[in-house]
Amino acid sequence: MPFLSGLTLGLLALADLIYGMANRWKHEKADREIWPSIHRGKLFFTLVLLFFYTLLFNRLGFIISTIPLLFFLFRLMEPRPWWAALIASVLTTGLFYLGFKVGLDSQLPPGPFGF
Amino acid sequence: MNLFYCFLGVLIGTLVGVLPGLGPVAAMSLLLPATFHTSPVASIIMLSGIYYGAMYGGSTTSILVNIPGEAASVMTCLDGYQMARQGRAGPALGISAFGSFFAGTIGIVGMLLISIPLVNFALRFGPPEYFSLMVLGLMVLTFLTSASMLRALMMAAFGLIVGTIGLDNISGLARFTFNIPELLDGVGLVPVVMGLFGISEVMLNIEMKIRREVFTTEVKGLLPTLADWAKSVGPLLRGAVIGFFLGILPGGGAVIASFVSYAIEKRVSKHPEEFGKGAIEGVAAPEAANNSAAQGAFIPLLTLGIPSNVVMAMLLGALIIHGVTPGPLLLSQHPDLFWGVVASMYVGNIMLLVLNLPLIGMWVQLLRVPYSILFPLIILFCLIGAYSINNSSTDVLIMLVFGVIGYLMKKLSLEAAPMVLAFVLGPMMETALRQSLIKSRGSFSIFFTRPISAACLMLAIALMILPLLPWLRRPGAALDHKDAA
Repeated sequence: MPFLSGLTLGLLALADLIYGMANRWKHEKADREIWPSIHRGKLFFTLVLLFFYTLLFNRLGFIISTIPLLFFLFRLMEPRPWWAALIASVLTTGLFYLGFKVGLDSQLPPGPFGF
Repeated sequence: MNLFYCFLGVLIGTLVGVLPGLGPVAAMSLLLPATFHTSPVASIIMLSGIYYGAMYGGSTTSILVNIPGEAASVMTCLDGYQMARQGRAGPALGISAFGSFFAGTIGIVGMLLISIPLVNFALRFGPPEYFSLMVLGLMVLTFLTSASMLRALMMAAFGLIVGTIGLDNISGLARFTFNIPELLDGVGLVPVVMGLFGISEVMLNIEMKIRREVFTTEVKGLLPTLADWAKSVGPLLRGAVIGFFLGILPGGGAVIASFVSYAIEKRVSKHPEEFGKGAIEGVAAPEAANNSAAQGAFIPLLTLGIPSNVVMAMLLGALIIHGVTPGPLLLSQHPDLFWGVVASMYVGNIMLLVLNLPLIGMWVQLLRVPYSILFPLIILFCLIGAYSINNSSTDVLIMLVFGVIGYLMKKLSLEAAPMVLAFVLGPMMETALRQSLIKSRGSFSIFFTRPISAACLMLAIALMILPLLPWLRRPGAALDHKDAA
């Protein structure tokens, strides 16, 4: 099954490549339309932030790791005063902890301090 | 208690439908871990509620903001927003809510009439029939939902490959696990779906910085006039029937139903020129169709155990997690689940009517929440949802990886729906294929000598050849069958 699926994918990809090259002139969609330069840095920053969060939140616990994550995310798209972003992050983290951990009994990483 | 879960489901569903950027699939995957502690019936009732709640909620954004909350509401934008601009937002929202309720009712009646004969028919199915039916389902989905069938087939093949990750269920060999113990059980459906539909959408929106303008006129007079009703009765009936049958079709669903019913209404109308300029029929028909399709889509899942679209694939995953295997025996083994879901649909439809009409003002206010505040919350929902299934950060990483894959797929116009359906059906297809081959001692002729299986495969092959016909007649013509339409 994996071999057959892989073979099918390979053949279809080859067909798409040939078809795409043969009809290249028809598709006027320029690269800059698909990859706009606006906010590319923000996108990359968000991804790096999320990967670091994933690596750290098991060790630090949900609350300690989520507050800084939300702080950066709240300030990412619009400039907000740092204290407003901090208050929003603390409140949001607390509400999510209460909703999921206490309310729905979901599993969240406890970290060294148990939260 | 089931009533509470039904209410919670439709409430969250409406919310998700109202807010662009988080579809019903992402919302269901988010809330799936939260249903682990409930009974299977309560879990399915809540998740189903999210689905048809999103169908209702999506219409609100289409009419007031001209942004469909989810894909099935795209057609409602055309006339709904024009009605709102003419000061008729109230009747547009009203006919959408009443129409959805009416169509939901038709869908439930249809489900009651069709399910039992279909179950009796499905008892004749063996592994070859199941395999062929799943192949047909995948082919129909790739044929109908994508602009390019070639690319949709590529995505289906990719989904099948992702579905093979983990232990081979017959030989016990580890496949594509790269010595990562968490992958021995395979890649989870929830992280994949959240990544492809939730994280990727957020990534696109961060890049584009979406701006929303909410229609500022006060919404009043939700009850349509007698003239509106007279115009809408026909479209509502036709939309409900068309939607129901397209919902049952493997690979069909609410999106296609709303497109087809709108096109048919425009064709049968005496004033087709009014469509797109605020015709109430253009709101009534697609809204009725997408809701009855949402009900109809439950039939193949509950009677055959085969999901007809991505949302049903999510429900299949939820049922399996709860130890329930959907199929022809579901009705006799778990009658409480089958009839519980059917009853909850009707109750859910009434709840939606009550929620939608008086609370429209509240939903409009929600639309004013800026995306810069909304997106961190969506990300946090996804992170918690992915982690809490197995308490594993590997699942979160998988979600992020599929988020990036989903983002690239959207950029390159590759659709996620065929991939997810193939990913869910893949292991079932493989098992059915291997059981069939064991039965026939390795001969593939078993798929063509049994009438039901042969018919399904012939249809699947026909669907594959169909887009090639114009190309064969005129070399160089587009393979992209929808571009030509």
